Amino acid sequence: MSHNMAWRGLWPWLCAASVALSLLLLGLLLALLLSRGLGHFWPAPLEAVTLTSGETFAGEAIREAKLPDQPGHERLYFIGNRDSSEHDPHGARFRWINLETIAQRDTSARLVRLSRSPWGDFIGRLEALEQGGQRLEGDAAWQALSQALAQPENTRPDAQLMLQPLNGDAFMQPLEEVYRASRPNAMTWLAKVRYWGTGVGQFLSQGPRAANTGGGVWPAIFGTVVMVIVMSVIVMPFGVLAAIYLNEIAEQNRFTRLVRIGVRNLAGVPSIVYGVFGLGAFVYGIGSTLDEWFFSARLPSPTFGTGGLLWASLTLALLTLPVVIVATEEGLARIPDAQREGAVALGATRLETLTRVVLPMAAPAMLTALILAVARAAGEVAPLMLVGVAKLAPQVPIDATFPYLHLERKFMHLGYHIFDTAFHGDSMQAAIPLVYATALLLVLIVLVLNLTAIFLRHYLRRKRGQPC
Amino acid sequence: MRLNRHATPPRLITRLAAVAIALAVAFVITFSITPAAANTTPVRGTLGAVGSDTMAGLMLRWGEALAQRYPDVTLQFQAGGSANAASALIAGTARLGPMSRPMTATEKQRFARRYGYPPLELKVARDALVVVVHRHNPLRALTRRQLDAIFSTTRHCGAARPILRWQALDATRDWPFGRIALHGRNLASGTHALFQRRALCGGEFRRDISEHPGSAAVVAAVGESPGAMGYAGYHHLSAAVRGVSLYNAAGKAIAPSRAAIQRGDYPLSRSLYLYVNAPPDAALPPAERALLKLIFSPRGQQIARAAGFVALPEPQRKAQNRW
Amino acid sequence: MTPPQKLQGTQPLRQFQDRLATCVIVVGAMAVLAAILAIGVFLVWQSLPVLFIPLETTVAKLSVLAWGTLKAALATLLFAIPVALCAAVYTALYLPARWRSRIKPALEMMEAVPGVVVGFIAGVILAPWIEQHLASALALLIWPPLSALLAGLLWQTLTPHRLPFSQAWLWLIPWLLAMGWLALWAAPLIEHQLLGDDLRRLLETRLGVDYATRNALIVGMAMGFAVVPGIYALADDALSEVPTSLLEGAQALGADRWQTLWRVALPAAGPGIFSAVLIGAGRAVGETMIVLMASSNAALTSASPFEGMRTIAAAVAIELPEAAPMSSTYHLLIFAALVLFVFTFLVNTLAEVVRLRLRTRLQRRGGGA
Repeated sequence: MSHNMAWRGLWPWLCAASVALSLLLLGLLLALLLSRGLGHFWPAPLEAVTLTSGETFAGEAIREAKLPDQPGHERLYFIGNRDSSEHDPHGARFRWINLETIAQRDTSARLVRLSRSPWGDFIGRLEALEQGGQRLEGDAAWQALSQALAQPENTRPDAQLMLQPLNGDAFMQPLEEVYRASRPNAMTWLAKVRYWGTGVGQFLSQGPRAANTGGGVWPAIFGTVVMVIVMSVIVMPFGVLAAIYLNEIAEQNRFTRLVRIGVRNLAGVPSIVYGVFGLGAFVYGIGSTLDEWFFSARLPSPTFGTGGLLWASLTLALLTLPVVIVATEEGLARIPDAQREGAVALGATRLETLTRVVLPMAAPAMLTALILAVARAAGEVAPLMLVGVAKLAPQVPIDATFPYLHLERKFMHLGYHIFDTAFHGDSMQAAIPLVYATALLLVLIVLVLNLTAIFLRHYLRRKRGQPC
Repeated sequence: MRLNRHATPPRLITRLAAVAIALAVAFVITFSITPAAANTTPVRGTLGAVGSDTMAGLMLRWGEALAQRYPDVTLQFQAGGSANAASALIAGTARLGPMSRPMTATEKQRFARRYGYPPLELKVARDALVVVVHRHNPLRALTRRQLDAIFSTTRHCGAARPILRWQALDATRDWPFGRIALHGRNLASGTHALFQRRALCGGEFRRDISEHPGSAAVVAAVGESPGAMGYAGYHHLSAAVRGVSLYNAAGKAIAPSRAAIQRGDYPLSRSLYLYVNAPPDAALPPAERALLKLIFSPRGQQIARAAGFVALPEPQRKAQNRW
Repeated sequence: MTPPQKLQGTQPLRQFQDRLATCVIVVGAMAVLAAILAIGVFLVWQSLPVLFIPLETTVAKLSVLAWGTLKAALATLLFAIPVALCAAVYTALYLPARWRSRIKPALEMMEAVPGVVVGFIAGVILAPWIEQHLASALALLIWPPLSALLAGLLWQTLTPHRLPFSQAWLWLIPWLLAMGWLALWAAPLIEHQLLGDDLRRLLETRLGVDYATRNALIVGMAMGFAVVPGIYALADDALSEVPTSLLEGAQALGADRWQTLWRVALPAAGPGIFSAVLIGAGRAVGETMIVLMASSNAALTSASPFEGMRTIAAAVAIELPEAAPMSSTYHLLIFAALVLFVFTFLVNTLAEVVRLRLRTRLQRRGGGA
């Protein structure tokens, strides 16, 4: 009996714990993304590691793991230097080192990290810089390198760097392939913050490098924005028209009730079904017909018979149509009939009632609808996998050549970029930091949009029911 | 008399919205107007390629190098599997189809039926199918029969019984324990099809293989799990896994090294193909020609090595370098 | 609302504009309806060739997918329903309106996190960790809920009436964090003492249970996270629409919290909660990215929670782009998409109908008192 009584008194705590757990999970997810995403740009300290076998190498410590078959741990180091794999039997950018085999670790201030293309990062020592016959060594070389990199890309001097990886022979590196250099062990805190800031700025403003494992996500941001704009231009007029029809013009009978239920249900249909429709009806159906009628000169290279901006925007417009209709209808239903009747009493036609009384009052609701549609479209990936995203589309869909907006081009999308970089890349370990950063960016965008919509809804609700 | 109090919309919000929309449009326009090219090169256009995820990194790096040389050319690439490349070439949705396996006779026939000429087949780099295990796994070498017995239900290569658990193999009798957790690619992948044809002797895969959308995911999954085994392309190997040596027909265990793959000694080595829709009577568009020229130049092969692949043997590179 | 009467022909331009506008609106709305119908029509039309494919191939292929979809949905609901319903009970019945209006949107933010991000974290970060620390993971699943009861006990005995129950959720957050830490610390020690060995190894050697890295457990947790806000929002709406007169009447008759909930609130809001669960099930069935990244996509029909599965949505996303148009695989996949469409549509319609019935029933009840 006392157990029963105890349970009766205690069970609400499970409910409170559910709320706490949900909030906690959300917070932990955001914290994970923030720490790993933003932390990626912070310059990590470099170590020169000497093993008990006498071998030396330089690298950045990433994480530790327990050894699976024996007691002890091993540590993952990023060593870069992919081009010295000709000499180095291990040949990979990462190495797992058993902690027991480490004889010595030191963090010399002279270790440099260069970001290069196409061979990726270099970690080691800068021996010398040769420029126009002159040879600078040691710190002078480092100064000259920093100065050269501070200049814009096409005005940099022609120079050769002599680089010494700790586990191989020295080699010459042309300066034009280097785009960033740092000495993380020697940086002050302020310099690190600046480096971090530059890193984040480059992430947001540059295109991908080295096949999506380095560089930034600018084309993905741009592509997502353009697609969202085209989608909004399609979905808002139709959604608002349908909402107006359902709410203002159609007779409120069983049919309209059915249509309303149908529209609400469509909001719950899986997004992949819209993708299937987009692929089958738009791309293979309308697209190839368009190609045959208007672009037959370009065949077999397809113009509209393949995925692209137009079909992706149309598919997502269809996907977000129910959201827009429902949100707009909510706004329209909130307007008291007295307003409409007052307008009619003053002699307004239906059009005038709509444009001068109803729609202005429903404007915040329509804005909410737009924001919700945009938030949904920014996060949906499944339909885009079918109708129009490219792995790398450095040519953005808008440029200076007529017709300025190229609806047949493929584009990059932030959400798809996450999936693609993680799974379709070279090495997942190398790609994960950038995936975190992109995921953080996407989550921040979507959260800000949703918070704005919620704020708007609250603002609307506070105005509800106030007398005319 | 405050009849109009709610007739006007909340001004602040509408204004904010108008400003936001104007900013967005201005943002898009400002950052999209690219300055006109100073020199009008004849090499311009968009190259559309659809196909193998294995070759994605390689095609992207070639595309980047091409864009550095000819700023008016861009490469658009959509990965998803070699089967995509064949369907895209046949359907006409792309002109370039990188594939990690050769086109089957059926695919070539369908192409020829549609266009009246066969696709142009080029070998652009070398790669190999490598069987990977966790870096601490004691397994060092497998025979072809054992490989087949592990991965397939049909055992066409001649093994007597399926190998399900690590205890069945000599090297791993004590550790790792349990079932061999298999990881592979999904149906759209050329790697999947090639492995089925060459390693399973045309047989069927087991039903319980975890299917991943990319080889990087396969390697990462095997690298986290001591009891896992998978197959992936050579260039996806990472420090977390080790490639298993395979016994060749003469009974010698060949390790998947760069030299062995280039020479073709490693049993599961393969060429990487690029299929081009090239009508035999017309010259290729200049953009495509520039790309092929880059691929078969020493610089192009160096880029292939930077991407982790194995370069073509010199004679093959020179023979195809006619662009 | 009554449509405006026709004007007496004084200003033909205004009338013309009015007629034109009405035309445009009607045409626009019809276009929207046509587009919506077109989806269903297209799916049905492109699925018809499936009738010509031998039944065995269709059944063989689709049964695996159907099983996988059901398994994923069940795993999801197993995690999502308790959390969402309990949270809804708390916010609807025990929180003052001011707090509720802040916490509810916060919980709905969970829905905003894109599926691709949840799938990435679950499949790439969480799954390997759980595989290597299975005992810790199970401890994390079991201990925090029990510790909540412990917290309640301590609360009642140590601080009888100083802090109101409506603040419990706030204090439970650091409590749960601390208890989670404790579970992570204690689990390896307990594992060693009680079992003497790694839990996973024991499962494989003693019980013969194979453990796949990405399995139904991971999918359930990840999709549960994504589906909880949907169920929560609707259940909360249903519970808060129960007229307070009913609840107050129960309390006046001497019922305690448990009896009020179990005998009055839940039965009154029952249909609404049922519809919330249905909608959650619809979402669980259709989610693509999470399953693609967090399940192993293995074509299995196993009932073990430690094995992977392949769902309809993931199969369509992977295979449709490479299926040649108008081939049999293409039609089969479109048929699978049609099955998804019809299922979610029916489930959502049922949920909506049930919800509307509940609303009229509550209005009648509440109005009577």
